[in-house]
Amino acid sequence: MIFWEIAKRNVRIHLLRSFLAMLGIVIGVVAISTMGILGNSMVLSVSDSLRTVGDSVIVTPHAGGGGMGFGSGTTSFTISEQEFQQIKRVSAPNVAIPVLRTSERMKLGVGSEEIVALVYGLDPDDVPLMLNLVEGDYSRGNSGCLVGATFAKDNNVRVGSRISLGKDGEKGTLRVTGIIEERGMAFDVSTDSAVVATRDWFDGTYNRDDYDQVVVKVKNLDEIADVKTAIEKQLNRRETIVDVMDTRKTMETIFEAFGQITTFVSAIGGISMIVAGVSILNIMMMSVTERIKEIGIMRSIGAQRREVMSMFLYEAAILGILGAIIGGVMSFVGGYAISSLMLQTTKYFFVPSSLIQIVYGMAFGIVVCLICGIYPAWRAANLNPIDALRHE
Amino acid sequence: MENPPVMLFRDVVKVYPLPAGDVIALDGVSFQVDRGEFISVMGPSGSGKSTLLNLMGCLDTPTTGDIFISGTRIGDMSDTELTSLRRDRIGFIFQYFNLFPLLNIIENVTFPMMLKTGRGVDPERGKEVLRAVQLDDKLFTHTPTELSGGQQQRVAVARALINNPDILLCDEPTGNLDSKTGDGIMDLMSELNRKGTTIIMVTHDAHIAEYSRRTIRIADGRIVS
Ligand SMILES: Nc1ncnc2c1ncn2[C@@H]1O[C@H](COP(=O)(O)OP(=O)(O)OP(=O)(O)O)[C@@H](O)[C@H]1O
Ligand SMILES: [Mg+2]
Repeated sequence: MIFWEIAKRNVRIHLLRSFLAMLGIVIGVVAISTMGILGNSMVLSVSDSLRTVGDSVIVTPHAGGGGMGFGSGTTSFTISEQEFQQIKRVSAPNVAIPVLRTSERMKLGVGSEEIVALVYGLDPDDVPLMLNLVEGDYSRGNSGCLVGATFAKDNNVRVGSRISLGKDGEKGTLRVTGIIEERGMAFDVSTDSAVVATRDWFDGTYNRDDYDQVVVKVKNLDEIADVKTAIEKQLNRRETIVDVMDTRKTMETIFEAFGQITTFVSAIGGISMIVAGVSILNIMMMSVTERIKEIGIMRSIGAQRREVMSMFLYEAAILGILGAIIGGVMSFVGGYAISSLMLQTTKYFFVPSSLIQIVYGMAFGIVVCLICGIYPAWRAANLNPIDALRHE
Repeated sequence: MENPPVMLFRDVVKVYPLPAGDVIALDGVSFQVDRGEFISVMGPSGSGKSTLLNLMGCLDTPTTGDIFISGTRIGDMSDTELTSLRRDRIGFIFQYFNLFPLLNIIENVTFPMMLKTGRGVDPERGKEVLRAVQLDDKLFTHTPTELSGGQQQRVAVARALINNPDILLCDEPTGNLDSKTGDGIMDLMSELNRKGTTIIMVTHDAHIAEYSRRTIRIADGRIVS
């Protein structure tokens, strides 16, 4: 339509002015999109490294006292067998997994250097519930063990390698039967750099009859808070014996915090967009003022108010759409750059939830332009044709 | 009314309320314009000629009194209705040509037709009318600023004619042209009038007024003859 054509030409003959006004929108779109991408990527990378743990309730001895055990190893507070049975009872039918843990010196082959690593003791029946293997098999026997992926890589350990534990091998030797898939940061067990032995071996070797931690795998995620409450009620009736962590809740808290940071940073982008909107308003007012006479002619030869209005809205839309497209392209490039530089990976960039941030930024830019174009366009449409015609 | 006059003014008063006091621009004006007339409106500066023409052109409504355009009373029409009336029945020609600088000649001429149809218009329609006002074909795709005053005014006449209006309203159409070019435009107007277009023209120039067949003289907002 002719008004679209006029709007287009008007933008073109005032190219520099239009470009400067657009620049604000470009900056606003880039600010909002890249911040959104960064925030989203961070949430994704955190949730990735905290993967597979959103379904657990983790019970640890209360750090402030109580539940004093007499086990050896590094922990001074433990969960007793009796307490474990209570946890198991209130969590049923969900599986309660007792976890034993200590740090131990070890050697990986004759003549190799002694290292210190975490050793877990887990019931062979429970291991498949928590850990996936990339190589080998779950060990059934007490002389077998699993190792984490990082541990295997760092120490050049393969399935079949032997690990000699304790000073001069006094705690015996374990044969590696499988390598555990990388788990990243986890709330329950951090096995990436650890050795996982059987609970029987652990009990025998370290003379333990209590536990360092209990992990309850909750099948129905809606029950997770109830399980937590039930355990707390049961064990912490008189005094606080255990700390109970609901991993889902914890994850939610982390995401909430990230969400707030993202919102805050995006709000700064939003402010830059509003500043850009003011400059759009400014040049649109200029465009109306310098064309008052033209508007008067149009109105006198039969252009309706809404047609005059549409002409100026088209103009604002052109600025907004061009600015948004340029901003969108720059956000794509910028988001890619930020992802690969700051996060060292672009796998969180090429996902819908990150890329949609660019769409949000662009849409916001166009909407801001249109809103800022409404008032000037309304002014133009409601000029008195006679006064506009007399205008010089 | 069997065959209503193209335009009928009945006791039209136009008052501009200003802070310093009301200005009575038209003070009880009555007259009639029949189909095919060629009328010039003359009078001293400030006498109300432009006000009269604005009312005829439905750019404004009277303070009191009635105006009928081809039998339609404009007093209580909405802005949208008045705008459509201007678009479909009235052609405007201004002293300063007032073409659109962003549009080429054909686009300028077909603009009112695009308004009427709400979509693009066959350029041939524009060319036809431009040829009728004797504009050189070479100039059709130029922009208005590349044309002389006389050529621009021819384009303005073509634009005013494109929707086949009942009335052509001109406010000093030759006021910005030298007398030879002005005569050219007036010859064109006479020609249009001979073919049946009703023309009302405001002018200061007695020589230009001679082209019309009737003159309305106005002073202090009243018709004196
Ligand atoms: N929009 C307006 N607002 C206020 N007063 C106006 C307006 N238009 C015209 N007037 C006043 O109305 C009176 C008539 O004005 P008008 O423009 O009709 O005169 P004119 O005959 O066209 O004069 P000129 O020959 O100088 O063009 C003048 O006193 C003028 O000041
Ligand atoms: Mg005048």
